[in-house]
Order: sequence, then structure tokens, then C-alpha cells
Amino acid sequence: MSIPTLQGLQTALSGLLAEQQALDVTGHNIANANTEGYSRQRAVLQTNQAIPIPSISAITGQGAQLGTGVTVETYTRVRNSYLDAQYRTQNSSLSGASTEAEALEQAQGAFNEPSSSGIASQLSAFWTSWNSLADSPNSEAAKEGVVAAGQRLAGALNQLSGQLSTITAQVEAQYTARTSPGGEVADAAKQIAQLNQQIKLAEQARQPPNDLLDRRDLLIDKLSALANVTVTANPDGTDTIAFGDAAKPLVEGSTVNWPQTLSPAAGGQLGALLGLTAPGGPLGGLRSELDAVAANLASSVNALHTTTPFFAGNTAATIAVAVKASEVQSSSTGTPGGNDVALAIAGLRGGATDQAYSGLVENVGSKVQGAKNEQANLQATLTAVAGQRQSVSGVSLDEEMTNLISYQRGYQASARTLTAMDEMLEQLIEHTGRAGL
Amino acid sequence: MYRITGTMLTGSTLNDINSALAKLQRSSEELSSGRQILAPSDNPYGASRSLDLQSQLDGIGSYTTSVNDGISWTQTSEGALAGISGALQRVRALLVSAGNGTHSQADLSAMAGEVSQLTESIKQAANTQYAGQYVFSGTLTTTRPYEPGENDEYQGNAGAVSRAIGAGATVAVSSDLSSVLGNGAGAGDGKTLDVLRTIVKHLTEGTAAGRQALTSTDLKALSSNIEGLLGLQSSNGSATVQLQTAVGRLETLQSSVTGALSSTLDTDVAKATIAYSTQQAAYQAALHASASIVQESLLNFLK
Repeated sequence: MSIPTLQGLQTALSGLLAEQQALDVTGHNIANANTEGYSRQRAVLQTNQAIPIPSISAITGQGAQLGTGVTVETYTRVRNSYLDAQYRTQNSSLSGASTEAEALEQAQGAFNEPSSSGIASQLSAFWTSWNSLADSPNSEAAKEGVVAAGQRLAGALNQLSGQLSTITAQVEAQYTARTSPGGEVADAAKQIAQLNQQIKLAEQARQPPNDLLDRRDLLIDKLSALANVTVTANPDGTDTIAFGDAAKPLVEGSTVNWPQTLSPAAGGQLGALLGLTAPGGPLGGLRSELDAVAANLASSVNALHTTTPFFAGNTAATIAVAVKASEVQSSSTGTPGGNDVALAIAGLRGGATDQAYSGLVENVGSKVQGAKNEQANLQATLTAVAGQRQSVSGVSLDEEMTNLISYQRGYQASARTLTAMDEMLEQLIEHTGRAGL
Repeated sequence: MYRITGTMLTGSTLNDINSALAKLQRSSEELSSGRQILAPSDNPYGASRSLDLQSQLDGIGSYTTSVNDGISWTQTSEGALAGISGALQRVRALLVSAGNGTHSQADLSAMAGEVSQLTESIKQAANTQYAGQYVFSGTLTTTRPYEPGENDEYQGNAGAVSRAIGAGATVAVSSDLSSVLGNGAGAGDGKTLDVLRTIVKHLTEGTAAGRQALTSTDLKALSSNIEGLLGLQSSNGSATVQLQTAVGRLETLQSSVTGALSSTLDTDVAKATIAYSTQQAAYQAALHASASIVQESLLNFLK
């Protein structure tokens, strides 16, 4: 039994072609070493169909199969979808914690404590002005001082309340911008739907769309920062994306369901934005605590300042000094030397109002501290997961250089095989059967 | 095998350099601001405690002002009371001298003139002001307690002027001089002004009964009022002592609260400086290591 004479050429050729394609893939990897979301690819080499030789041995009649070289079966991307899911979960949590920390830090900044210009020092100055009035109960200047200190205090409360309102409004505006029909969510969802369509077609044509898959995964990573995402891979290659706690999937095949209603349970940045402004949320909590400080201030001072209320309004936004200097009351009897009222109001220092305010500062500090700690912890976890993902999918230049060398050498060796075959055939064609010539 | 890629290396290097720099910046901020609490989130309890302590410190400052004001008030009173006391002693000496029977009516009339003048000076002393406030008018501090001249009626009230010496603690700084001076002859209350007017009357009239009274009932009534004045002086003196004690107590409190505030809020410079140097070294090491590691790859060795 003989074998086809030219088979060796075909085998060498298959080696040349396969090594070349593997080199191309290596080149693609190197070119995309720094592309965001890129997964390294590999050419999967497979041996060709062997030629059956029924009886290679004339003596035993034993058959064999002659290998016919190599072919590239497909290009795969090296990716671990379990790590993707982990990464996205952590990314949602981190993004939520960062958003919360950022807004609360802004709120903390508005308090401007501890400083010599915060509300605590205005409160202290207000009590001191009553102490001064108690020393000179009949002094117009001391009364002016009380009114001025009261106005500064009320002004500081008004201003802080306004700043907290502004932060709340900004948080609401951020949510609206991101979820609007032209916003980030809609934008990413549209692109994913388009990619779903392209991927489906490529899969039908049995052409693994590695780069499209990478782009889709990158978009899903970005969506995961906005809210929790759950990805269900369908047999046709499309992904169904559940987004936050929206009732319907955000992307289903090539269909986009957006806008939908989310709640603070949506997770991610959007969940955090909703949670911050929700009734009973951290920002609302700070505002109502500040209102309680203002109400406490107004009621405790007014209860002692019996002739006419000293403060009008009982929220931080509305509190104002309601008296003129001439109406400031320093004694209950109205005598010029009496100072019982001034002493009683000065004695409110360190009382419920001061404690409510310093409690509020402690509260905002704890909230920011907690949010920042959570952020740091999640950041560390996310970095670890991202590292694992990179370890699987990232392009290592050292590895690619090694592959480059081995494929290049493989190519050279295949070419050398071809030369050897050629020389063998030359021997056969040119030099055989010419004995005696 | 856990693969390490170039992106991972640059990523983690950047993270490490960033965190080293963040720590360095924090130490530098603590050193340059002199504060270890720059925002409540650095130490929520410490921040709120520092606000409480600062307010307490401001309170101590204003109590110190009040106490010093009170001391000035009682010292002003003290001067006036001493003047009144001196005048009364002089009247008493005159009475004793008038009683020895060797004086002519002219002498007695001259004495009456002097006693009248002393009475006026006592009323003037009673009208002493501190910082524009009459110190012996009770809480009617803008009203002169005694009109000059014949009218001896007290114009003030029985209220007490007080100064705060601490949270919820006050000291009465005014002395109720009217309890000793009284409302004069019209009231017939046996108080100083009434007695003085009676003495002048007895001296001027020069009757035997009058002369007799000078050294008996008048002298007795005067002595009893001098004793009353002494009581007033001593209670005024004890108010001064109480206020001065309060100054000492407030100073001690101030220094302990300042200490507590400083240890809560201020940077421990020695500690922060050491931390700063350590972090600086760590940062430089991170930069140096990154610079040499990140540059390396297989490419450097392939020919």
C-alpha cells in the first residue's frame, strides 16, 4: 500500500498557513494589549483529517492513519464569565458607595466644621452676646450685639439649609440626566441591543464574534456601575440584561425597554442617588435634624424671651430674628439693671440646641466616614476581582513574545519541510531513471 | 497559574503610588493646618466633642468677663461704703464731743453744719456710678438712689444686680444700701439719714433734751446704723472674695478645657512629622521601584 506522493507538500503548507494565522492572532493581541475590555484571543489548532492506509505492512497487513497536518479550528477569546458576574456585582456596590460618599462629603463640606465660622461658633457667639447683655442689661450696644449675633446665627442656619437643599436637587438632577431617554442607560442599552443583533448573525454564520463580545461585555460592565445587572446568555448568542429592580429586562435580544421605574434597591449609582433623596434617606435625615436644631433654638429662646418672640420661624430655612434691638428683653421686670432673662438665655449654652447641633455634626461625620470606609473596602475587593479577570483575559506581552517566537519558528520549520519535500521530489523527477546517462 | 500582565502591573503600581501619595498629602495637611480633625468624618466623636469644648471655652471667657465686671462693681461699692463709713465715724466723734457740755451753741451750730455736709456727702457716695449705672439703686440702675438736698427718700428698688460666674451660678454684686440709709426724717425709720437729720435738729435747737439725746439715743441709733453698714461692707467684701475665687476657678477650668480641646483637635506634631517622613520614604521607594519594574519586559532581552 502506498501513500499519495504530494501529500507531504500539503502537510507542510497546512503548517505554514496555521502558523501564519496564529501569528496574526498574536499580532492582534499585541495591538490590543491596552484596549479597554479586550480579552486575549487564541488560535485553536487542530490536526487535519488523517488519510487511512488499510495495510501499511505487507507482512502483517496492519493498517495506519497518515497525519495530514494542521488547521485552525477557530479563534477563541479567553474569558471567565463567572469572574465577569463577580466584577459587575462589586462594581455596582462600589459605584453606589462612591456616589453616596461623594454626596455626603459635599453635605459635610457645607457644614464647614470644625471651624471658626461654622454654626457651632455662631451659636457660641450668640450665647456670648447674651452674657454681654447680662453684664450691661441697659446698653443699646449690647442689645444691638444680641440682635446681630442672632441674625448671623439665623443666616448661617438658612444658608446651610439652602446648601443641603441644593445638594438634594443636584442628586435628583443627576438621576434624571442618567435615566433620561438620551442618557447613559438608554445609550448603553441601545448599543447592547445592536451588538446582540450583530452577534446573533455572526453566530448563525458560525463565526465567533470575539471582538463584538468584548465590546458588549464592556458596555455591560459600564451598566453595572449604574445599577445591579444580571446577564442571561441565550443560545442564539444574545444576552438578556436585567437592570436594577426594573420590572422588564432592559435589553432583550434587539429590544430595549427604557425608561422604567427604579427604586433605591436597584443598587449601583442610580440606586444610591434614589436612596440619598428617598424619604428617611441620609440627606433628608440631615435636613430634618438641622430643622430640629433650629426649632429647638427658636422655642428655647422664645420661651425665655417672654415680651415678644425673639426668633420667628421654626425650620432652618425660615428661622429669622423677629425683634429690633430696642425690643430685646434683658429682665423679666423691665428694670434697667435686671438681667435675669439675659442670664437665663446665656445659660442655654451647652444645652439641648448645642447638643443637637454637635450631635448632627457627629452624625454627618459618621455617615461620611462609614460611606468612605465602605468605598475603600469595596474598592479593594473590586481591584482583586479585576486583577483575577485581567489575569485570565489580559494580554501579557511576555507571553505574546514567546508565542511570537514559537509560531515564527513553526513557520520557518514548515517552510523547511516544504523545501525538503521539494528536494525529494526533485530527486525523483530530475534525477531518477537516468542511470547510465 | 495566576498570570500577571503588563496592565495589571501598571494598574497596581499606579494604585500603590496613589495611596502612598494620599497618605503623604494627609500628613502634610495635618502638619500645615495644625489640626488632626479637618472634617467631621476624620473623627466624628472628636469633631462633635471639639465643638462642645470650644463652646464651653467661649462660655468660660464670657463668665470671666462677667466676673471681672462684678469685681469692679463690688470694688466701686466698697469705695463708696468706706466713704460713708468714714463720714459716720466723723459724726460719731462729733456727737461724743458735743456731749461733754463744754461747747457753746455756736460750736454746736457749726457741728450741725458739718453733719449736714457729711449727710450730703453720704448721699453723694450713695449715688456712686459704675459704668454709668448707679450701684446702690437695686435694679433701677439708671435712677439716682438719693436726690441731693432735703428729700431723703430712696428712689431705687429692692432688686439685686447679679453677675454670672458659671453655668447657672450667679453672685449678687449690689449692696442694699437703702436698708442702712433709709428714707430720711419723713419716714422716721431710725435709719442713718433719719438719725443724721435728727442729730442736726438737736444740734441746731440746742435744747437740754436735745443735747441729752445727742449722746444717748442719737449716738445709740448712729452706732446701730454703723454696725448695719459694717455688715453691708462685710457682705460686699465677701462677694468680692467669691468673685475673685471664681476667677481662679475659671482660669483652672479654662486651662483644662483648652488642654482637652487641643488634644482632641490639634496635630501631635512629633507624631505627624515622623509619619510624614516615613510616608515620604515609602512614596519615594514606590516611585523608584515602579520606575525600574514597569520598564522591564521580555522585549528588552530579545535580539
